[in-house]
Amino acid sequence: MTALLEVAHVSKKFGNDTKALSDVNFSVREGEFVSIIGPSGAGKSTLLRCINRMIDASSGEINFDNVNILSLNKRELKKTRTKIGMIFQHYNLVNRLTVIENTLHGRLGFKTTFAGMLGIYTEEEKQQAIKILNVLGLNEQIFKRSDQLSGGQKQRVGIARALIQNPRMLLCDEPIASLDPSSSKVIMDHLKNISVKMGITVLVNLHQVDVALKYSDTIIGINGGQVVYNGSPKNITPDDIHRIYGSEAGKLIFDMGEIHAG
Amino acid sequence: MEADEKIEKISSQTLISNSPSKRIRIRPLTKASLVLRGTLVVLVLLTAYTFYTIDVKDVNFVQGMIGTAKNVKVMFLEPHLSHFSFSHALYQVMITLGLAFLTTVFGAIIAVFLSLFAAQNLSSKRVSVVIKGFAAFIRAVPTVLWVLIFAVAAGLGSVAAVIGMTFHSISYLIKAYSESFEELDKGVIEALQASGASWWQIVFQAVIPSSISYMISWTFMRFEINFAVAVAMGAAAGAGGIGFDMFMASSFYYDIREIGAVTYFILVIAILLEVLATQIKKRLKVNI
Ligand SMILES: Nc1ncnc2c1ncn2[C@@H]1O[C@H](COP(=O)(O)OP(=O)(O)O)[C@@H](O)[C@H]1O
Ligand SMILES: [Mg+2]
Repeated sequence: MTALLEVAHVSKKFGNDTKALSDVNFSVREGEFVSIIGPSGAGKSTLLRCINRMIDASSGEINFDNVNILSLNKRELKKTRTKIGMIFQHYNLVNRLTVIENTLHGRLGFKTTFAGMLGIYTEEEKQQAIKILNVLGLNEQIFKRSDQLSGGQKQRVGIARALIQNPRMLLCDEPIASLDPSSSKVIMDHLKNISVKMGITVLVNLHQVDVALKYSDTIIGINGGQVVYNGSPKNITPDDIHRIYGSEAGKLIFDMGEIHAG
Repeated sequence: MEADEKIEKISSQTLISNSPSKRIRIRPLTKASLVLRGTLVVLVLLTAYTFYTIDVKDVNFVQGMIGTAKNVKVMFLEPHLSHFSFSHALYQVMITLGLAFLTTVFGAIIAVFLSLFAAQNLSSKRVSVVIKGFAAFIRAVPTVLWVLIFAVAAGLGSVAAVIGMTFHSISYLIKAYSESFEELDKGVIEALQASGASWWQIVFQAVIPSSISYMISWTFMRFEINFAVAVAMGAAAGAGGIGFDMFMASSFYYDIREIGAVTYFILVIAILLEVLATQIKKRLKVNI
């Protein structure tokens, strides 16, 4: 299988001395479920944002769907971004708008500026929005204002907004960091489904090692802006976890032991 | 014993003084508080000096007070209209309201677009600073002064009033609007950018829907201000409306009772506007 996403020698400097990423290399297959783990400040968010160029990488090459992301002009970049959905820790919905309005925002990149400004959507788009919201179990919430939803429901709207783009890939920046365990499980199950059933590639930044090990095809471990592990969750050893997390790893090894036992 | 010594040592290290002679200051004497105190002292001295040197000529203070009280009593307890009719007064109030409405609408439309570029999360830092700086300068000069400045070119009258009042409304609303735009979470803008939405789409689909109720409240607040200014403009700049009738009653006819009547007119309108504003804010659920 060919790679959908290829990240080669990517580095990112903020200012003169903050090196957020240094010489990051990895590739992701179509439909693969990849978790990026690492301590706070390791560069996980920066890495995700370099992929859809919310942040410009300082050097290196990023190929997505045979397109060199770093060489795109503004218009081409917008077009490529429509193929990449993004999901956030804080959901980032427009609180005052309804669930379906927020979902349809995922279509803005496909519309003329004017139609998008006025929020004019086709019937097909609206039907697709309702279909996606049904799949995500939000059929009762479709016309509710999004600030009336629970965290887990808001995150599902976030997923719906990404899915209606018909994306090839989802970038998820700590999607469950603000959720309780049961909502977290719902969200992770949906993301897994999306990758398995729809064949959409999923890249997730995660804090919880146990969750990453349970759901992922591949784990990428980052520490200090460098990839220190890239491989299957089955082969990961306490040593690897220690290298990814540095000295905080004591407790985490215990968690992993449980997973491997179970 | 040893523990006691240790505590002693720590407290002396952390400069907790045990001697009762030294009072503990809760509020440190900073430069700002010194300046504030100095200013207050100077103001008190100036006030005392003014009272001491005031020149009352032959007016007896007590008699003056009684006279004023009598005038106020006549003004508000015996109001009547003698030089124009009730319907004329009503019509003039409408003109004043119209002036306030027009300048608010003009100001709001122009301010919406400028404030998009003044909001730091939607614009570049440099453009934002330039626009906000300009707006702050315009705001610092009172509306009446702007009307008089434009009167140099347009002549005293309604044109100067409309331009001057619009000018000041724009700068006021730029501040209000751009600050409510800046309240919008950066993440929301990021989310729409990441899905390929354009700047104008983000403005109309996320920024304005999120701030619309604040914008309406601020605009209405400005309308109330503009009504008051429009009354003054009728008197001071010949812009017409109820303010002009009041000016005539006071400076031309010396008719205290008519001034009282006009004041009641303005008061009623002001109360109505206030009630309307409260209702709107209640509907929109905002507090400003
Ligand atoms: N906009 C920015 N400006 C300056 N430094 C930044 C910026 N964003 C992130 N950084 C720095 O880059 C490093 C990586 O941050 P981030 O990617 O957010 O880490 P993570 O998501 O793994 O917690 C951190 O040291 C952080 O302080
Ligand atoms: Mg992060």
